[in-house]
Amino acid sequence: MAVELKTIQHLCELSKLNYDEEGLKKVMGEMSDIIDLMDEIKSFDLEYDDTKDGCEIRFCDTREDVAEESTPAEKLLSNTESSNGCYVVPKVVE
Amino acid sequence: MDITKATIRELRRALDAKEISAKELCGEYLKRIKEKDGKVLSFITVTENEAEQSAVRAQKMIDEGKSSALTGIPLAVKDNICIDGVRTTCASRMLENFIPPYNATVIEKLNAEGYVLLGRASMDEFAMGGSTQTSAFAKTKNPYDLECVPGGSSGGSAAAVAAAFAPAALGSDTGGSIRQPSSFCGVTGIKPTYGRVSRYGLVAFASSLDQIGPIAHDAYDCAILLNAICGHDRRDATSARRDVPDFTEKLGEPIKGLKIAMPKEFFSEDIDSVVREHVTNAANELEKQGAVLVECSIPGLKYAIPAYYLIACAEAASNLSRFDGIKYGFRGEGRTYEELIRDSRSRGFGEEVKRRILLGNYALSSGYYDAYYKKALALKQEIIKEYNEVFEKADVILTPTAPTPAYKIGAQDNDPVKMYMADICTVTVNIAGLPGISTTCGYTDGGLPIGMSIIGRRFDEQTILQTANAWEQGFTPVAPKI
Amino acid sequence: MSAYFPTMGLEIHAELLTDSKVFCTCSAEFGGTPNSRCCPVCSGLPGTLPVLNHKAVEYIIKAGYVMNCEISRFTKWDRKNYFYPDLPKAYQISQMPRPVCLSGNVKINVDGEEKIIRINRVHLEEDAGKLVHDDVNRISLADYNRCGIPLIEIVTEPDFHSADEVIAFLEKIKLLLQYAGICDCKMEQGSIRCDVNISIAPKGSTELGTRTELKNLNSLKAITRAIEAEIERQEELLDNGERVIQQTRRFNEQAGETVAMRSKEDAHDYRYFPDPDIPPIIFTEEELEEIKNSIPELPEQRIERYVSEYSIKKADADIIVGDKRVCDFFEEAVSEYDNPKAVANYIIGELMRRINLGEADMDALKFGGREFARLVQFMQTDKISQANAKTILREMIENGGDPKAIADRDDLWIKEDSGALAAVVDGIIANNPKAVEQYRSGDQKVFGFFMGQANKALKGAASPKAIQEYIRKKLSE
Repeated sequence: MAVELKTIQHLCELSKLNYDEEGLKKVMGEMSDIIDLMDEIKSFDLEYDDTKDGCEIRFCDTREDVAEESTPAEKLLSNTESSNGCYVVPKVVE
Repeated sequence: MDITKATIRELRRALDAKEISAKELCGEYLKRIKEKDGKVLSFITVTENEAEQSAVRAQKMIDEGKSSALTGIPLAVKDNICIDGVRTTCASRMLENFIPPYNATVIEKLNAEGYVLLGRASMDEFAMGGSTQTSAFAKTKNPYDLECVPGGSSGGSAAAVAAAFAPAALGSDTGGSIRQPSSFCGVTGIKPTYGRVSRYGLVAFASSLDQIGPIAHDAYDCAILLNAICGHDRRDATSARRDVPDFTEKLGEPIKGLKIAMPKEFFSEDIDSVVREHVTNAANELEKQGAVLVECSIPGLKYAIPAYYLIACAEAASNLSRFDGIKYGFRGEGRTYEELIRDSRSRGFGEEVKRRILLGNYALSSGYYDAYYKKALALKQEIIKEYNEVFEKADVILTPTAPTPAYKIGAQDNDPVKMYMADICTVTVNIAGLPGISTTCGYTDGGLPIGMSIIGRRFDEQTILQTANAWEQGFTPVAPKI
Repeated sequence: MSAYFPTMGLEIHAELLTDSKVFCTCSAEFGGTPNSRCCPVCSGLPGTLPVLNHKAVEYIIKAGYVMNCEISRFTKWDRKNYFYPDLPKAYQISQMPRPVCLSGNVKINVDGEEKIIRINRVHLEEDAGKLVHDDVNRISLADYNRCGIPLIEIVTEPDFHSADEVIAFLEKIKLLLQYAGICDCKMEQGSIRCDVNISIAPKGSTELGTRTELKNLNSLKAITRAIEAEIERQEELLDNGERVIQQTRRFNEQAGETVAMRSKEDAHDYRYFPDPDIPPIIFTEEELEEIKNSIPELPEQRIERYVSEYSIKKADADIIVGDKRVCDFFEEAVSEYDNPKAVANYIIGELMRRINLGEADMDALKFGGREFARLVQFMQTDKISQANAKTILREMIENGGDPKAIADRDDLWIKEDSGALAAVVDGIIANNPKAVEQYRSGDQKVFGFFMGQANKALKGAASPKAIQEYIRKKLSE
């Protein structure tokens, strides 16, 4: 089944990815094949029960509320542009 | 000293006997890397300075009689495990210049032992792939045949061990990323039980599936390395609160009476006959050692690929959203926030990573969630159930590690579906959170290694290490000629 | 009279008073220089993992109990995915299908009438960071200190039909959370925030109209004004035959009107899914029981106790309990001087009066309940006159200090010096023969005149009782 253009465009929006026209055409074809493969799962008909994963922990195993020293801001900001100890973000259009 | 075949045990003995210093030892490996890695491309970064500094520190520990299993042992570390002050790229343009300000828990543990970091092993970008050809910086080649892939995603780690650039390495495994390259490169690699090793500091691909694990020359060295890195970590809520045994303890114990299950789905026509043949022969050998072969079935394997890709990509889409060019990583251009993040992500990520992000968001998006993501979680429960049933009548499960031996570079290019299908033998182990080890069980006529996987009950790494070790005792590996 | 009636539901966010953040060990204190309370985890560095704070969970369970909620025995966390520069991971850890608390209710009182507001759910999530906009350079600066501060989100049913009801509910929630010790509820610091979902429908209609969501309301006053402005706006739309569009709006305080925020509601697809980094939690009955039993005395219980045990008037008890700071002050005072009624009276009559006049600030008092209690005690036991007590209280408000030390320093004690009393009163009687005559001929009112004169002249050196007795004695001679 071919994936519709508007579906791919929506996915690009959610993923914050740009494609040029050619790239979009290519990825549409690839995604169609991939989704066909994923569609095989549709013939499986058991329901998921989130209480039966068996991976829960006990309440007493959560972290004790103790504050510890933080990391120096310069170190956290060392991989990017910063100003006045803050991350620099271009204007957010509201 | 001939480092090309040296195990961690032998290096330990030599270091403690002062036959070689830690600095000399790491020098030997660095020299070999310098001479030969140009052909293999297993490293993204060779950390000469760090290596020499830590070798000096290690030597001091040795001289003071304070050495432990890994003191002075040089290791390669996959480039998705954060090391404070050492560039960690995940083989992505996105993180080309990223220097983490903190250590992964496994690195803290290795530091405490006084290990020596040789360099950062290449991998598929963000661990997404099975060939190491999606690496933005070092498309690693198979040491057994430089025209073939080393497997992936921990292809750099496996190739480095196979080519004796390091006696052992750390990899990570989300759907086979330790076991499959180990199989392609003729080395031994173990994916521990989910929760056995802390994931703190491992750049996440799929959080519910990822595990860090060792790749080494044999099961014994894997056990030594595993001893050093596992255990509960207060920084990882999914790390298991349970006692850690000495993983070398059961090595050498006879496997008489051990029940080995071989699920029929793993030996179908979809698997190369040469692979089936060698794995079956290995099973027969183990039978001769007293193991009992048991027939069984994992019918859910039919759905394993979609289940795996839906879960893994859904988590990946969310995990990789933080790469926006603002806090770290590749910063694109744009006058507004929206433009900047789109440009950063579009140019920072490679094609396969982008496909998986799109697929993940597809599986999670409104209107598709129940049909895909939730269905995949139901399958996960089903697959766990089927494995539990098998383990009621068997102690371990034996399967091929990959449907084929290493294939030619470029053979799967532009065919994501073919690439995904190649993960069929390994992904269910991650879905079920089980431990699995791959060890070499033979070679093709052309000399390419073939791997088999031994899968155990949750937290029973001991028995799969014991089984792999028992096999390795009667097997003579052939080193690659490079 | 309007032809419509409004219906509202609330989403309240309250920051929990934990020491550390909800998923890492950074301090959860308010403020700090930018990014000084951050670590690799709350800054969203690759490879980091969240680890849930025990106390944050304990606090939301308490919140659930004080709002009469059901507490889930199995709870889990989900990721809410969206891109915004104040959210470093590009997802917020929150709870979707299995929140800690479900279906509760809270009683409110509006104009003497009791009403029940139903709670839909309460869940635990992490706060986002802060952006400072620099319009000149067209950039924003991101500070992640607030990232990861634990938040509870309280979602009500659409049970409100007036701004008064909304305010009464918010006041009640503030008190409950403050008394439970889980949130300081400082609206001006944003530790409690409220969004209002609002729609109107023609009177008699059984269906709800299209709703809008009012955001960024940072005071009770703003909430009232915003609700009223939005109701008016929606009424005008409907009256003109137009439709209300579902959107998020903010309140422009200067203009007194609500303004649409960029509405991309249809593009919002948060792709919630269970966070694989945080295992679900199961609670035992014992754990929940223990938390329930650890909840401090709540406002209603306190009022009841004050009325029944302390014989304080209900209206006075309401006033004291109505402000947690005042109530804590009262409790401290009573622990020093066991005369709750007198303490309450002096708090309401004197201390709160001065606070209302702006002479004192409850958040910055220079003395404690104990010092205050001693002052009340001196007054009650005729050690200090009422007038001098006021003088001392003023001094305490301005400069702090202990009432005894101030009285010593400024010589404000009642001295019970009978010589001085006799001399003063004898003088007043001698100088006012007319008044004496009036009194003796049966005009009792003039007694007050003598009291006043004596008080003024004695400046608190004698107790009112002693003055009264001596005047009576002299006049009847």
